[in-house]
Amino acid sequence: MMTTLLPYAYCLTTNLFLIAILPQTKTKTTYMQALEKFQYDNKIVRNFAYATIIWGVVGMLAGLWVALLMIFPNWNTTFGLGKESLGLTFGRLRPLHTNAVIFAFVGNGIFTGYYYSLQRLLKTRMASDLLSKIHFWGWQLIIVAAALTLPLGMTTGKEYAELEWPIDIAITIIWVVFGWNMFATILKRRERHLYVAIWFYIATFVTVAVLHIVNSFELPTSFLHSYSWYAGVQDALVQWWYGHNAVAFFLTTPYLGLMYYFMPKAANRPVFSYKLSIIHFWALIFLYIWAGPHHLLYTSLPNWAQSLGVVFSFTLIFPSWGGMINGLLTLRGAWDKVREDVILKFMVVAVTAYGMATFEGPMLSLKTVNAISHFTDWTIAHVHVGGLGWNGMLTFGILYWLIPKIFKTQLFSKRLANTHFWIATLGIIFYAVPMYWAGFQQASMWKQFTETGQLKYQFIETVTYMKPFYAVRAFGGALFVVGALLMMYNLFKTVAKAKLVANEDAEAPALEKAYSEHTSEHWHRRMERKPVPFLIVTLVVILIGGIIELVPTFLIKSNVPTIASVQPYTPLELQGRDIYRREGCYTCHSQMIRPFRSETERYGEYSKAGEFVYDHPFQWGSKRTGPDLAREGTLNLKKSDSWHFNHMDDPQAISPGTIMPAYSFLLDKDLDTAGTAAKIKAMRTMGVPYKNGYELYANKDLMEQAAKIQASLQKDNIKVKQTAEILAVIAYLQRLGTDIDKNKLAANKN
Amino acid sequence: MFKFIKQYAETTDGISIYPIISLLLFFFFFIGLLYYVKKMDKAKADAISRIPLDEQSSASENFSRNN
Repeated sequence: MMTTLLPYAYCLTTNLFLIAILPQTKTKTTYMQALEKFQYDNKIVRNFAYATIIWGVVGMLAGLWVALLMIFPNWNTTFGLGKESLGLTFGRLRPLHTNAVIFAFVGNGIFTGYYYSLQRLLKTRMASDLLSKIHFWGWQLIIVAAALTLPLGMTTGKEYAELEWPIDIAITIIWVVFGWNMFATILKRRERHLYVAIWFYIATFVTVAVLHIVNSFELPTSFLHSYSWYAGVQDALVQWWYGHNAVAFFLTTPYLGLMYYFMPKAANRPVFSYKLSIIHFWALIFLYIWAGPHHLLYTSLPNWAQSLGVVFSFTLIFPSWGGMINGLLTLRGAWDKVREDVILKFMVVAVTAYGMATFEGPMLSLKTVNAISHFTDWTIAHVHVGGLGWNGMLTFGILYWLIPKIFKTQLFSKRLANTHFWIATLGIIFYAVPMYWAGFQQASMWKQFTETGQLKYQFIETVTYMKPFYAVRAFGGALFVVGALLMMYNLFKTVAKAKLVANEDAEAPALEKAYSEHTSEHWHRRMERKPVPFLIVTLVVILIGGIIELVPTFLIKSNVPTIASVQPYTPLELQGRDIYRREGCYTCHSQMIRPFRSETERYGEYSKAGEFVYDHPFQWGSKRTGPDLAREGTLNLKKSDSWHFNHMDDPQAISPGTIMPAYSFLLDKDLDTAGTAAKIKAMRTMGVPYKNGYELYANKDLMEQAAKIQASLQKDNIKVKQTAEILAVIAYLQRLGTDIDKNKLAANKN
Repeated sequence: MFKFIKQYAETTDGISIYPIISLLLFFFFFIGLLYYVKKMDKAKADAISRIPLDEQSSASENFSRNN
């Protein structure tokens, strides 16, 4: 019972802590403080704004590139860009795209608006210019590190958390710098009240810290390689608790903070209802954190956890729409301005997209709807309504408003900004509509049976059917990128003839400092004046959150029935699995057969939780551009070694019409056997039952298994060296699903 | 701590209590929240909501001073 209550206790603690730091103005002050002069730091705002624009274009171009790869899978090879060293394959670039747009574009967008608004809402300069600078340059270096490592295949294999452990540590340090500076600034404020936007910033800081730390528990095997500490179902739950809340606390709460500041500024009128914003904030924070399991409906995650996720996700519609309505009604009586003001146009589309995405999200979390949408392009449409519409358009609106302000000038061309608005809006429509259509069509084709009870469509038919939709989507994406480039030009021209007001003069009365510590004073009021205890309490709250969020994971351990026949991967299979992860195969292939007839007919027995106990990390995937591979090595799905060899070399020759890219470099590239021992040791540390000392002769077993596959290929007149990576990949693919298969065979014998 | 977790993790009996606890916690939390918001001084809420628009002086201080 106590454990059951702990998550709620944590949630309450966090919320009460946050509410506690909101100063209450209960006593009427009769003093008159002298005005103090100070300056706002606009340089940091400008730097983050530039980074937002540049990384935004880079991230969107990476998105366009992968969109084109889905129409022209050999696009890279045609232009001589197919070399592994260039890292331009879909599986490697897709994580680069998602990381770039989330953490580089939106991340820098958050910090741009945050540094501008926080100083003004608190009537003070940032506490430390140095910390601001460290935050800026540290964040950019992290982005550069991501841009270098992801194309090189250095990835943890966990969506939206792909960066390897040294970069994870760097993120933690820089995040602390950001938080430290924020709290220090709050403590030296001249405005007693923390406006609602700041609550959102604080919630973002605290929660992202907890999410990042918990999900990044990994065991390094080398400088840029590690294994997730969690395995299988537990890894999936932690990952999607993180993944969902990355959406919640990175793409949503900070942007709501920006909405609550910049919409009133742009419309020059206060937010529609401050009281509603209070309810919006607490309800959103309260509900969001528990909704993650809706990403794992019908998977091997225990049913109670799925149901819990559904309930919380559905309820989210209320606070989300409360926020959207509050944003839109801020423009009450000012809709005539929207016709004229391009900035308001961007903001209105952004808030509308937020409303659409947050209506759709709860619907998608209903099991019946999710059964159709999951693994299809519907999900891609959904996230892009949020990403392009909400984050993209709000960022553009803020940049158009803010940059002329800090340069004390006018926007170079309102007409060009208007063009951007229409191009971007059309881009979103051209992106989303075909993806929704494709999603419905995929689900329908995957699930149809003939009158004789056979699956109506081969998987490849569903792939080739998608191509026109993918083409229109790429067009929509291209429009959006063109719009962003127009903005870049427009803002460049805006600042070209202006000078940054690096230090903007301001004045405000100081807060009364001579507080008598009378007995009725709130404990937090005392703490607010002492930064160290304040930060310690913050840290404790983060740590408590981290620990308590682990509890459901431990709880689930008892819900994963062990399957006796499930054995650890052989050294060659383990190496093959690492290549699978390196190449981002999980970005197109799932390894999770849901308990639907349409899936068990196509892929075999539905997936069991016990099958994944040695999967560090889990590789269930979230999208089925290609077929599920959970039982690729079993029964009617099993292919010969030579089929896999030829398929990796030239997928179109083996499977006409496929959009699978070629992985010819695997045929020649040598396997890194030097790392085998460290990998085996790491796995054993995490509980995988390799015998003590097995790492000493693991490579011997590896070479023996490789020799067998080599010999099997030789029979089909394929010559390949014994150390080629392709052999490890084949070993892994042939292994998939065979544990359960062994069970079946044993049962049949009995 | 871990023993405690392990002991609990051995069984998921009683997991059905989750939705009931959720309901009660949320119910009371939101009742409290709605009460707080309802009781909140409207003039004060209006003053706070003007903070973003008032760049040069302290909106809530002004409110305090004027009341």
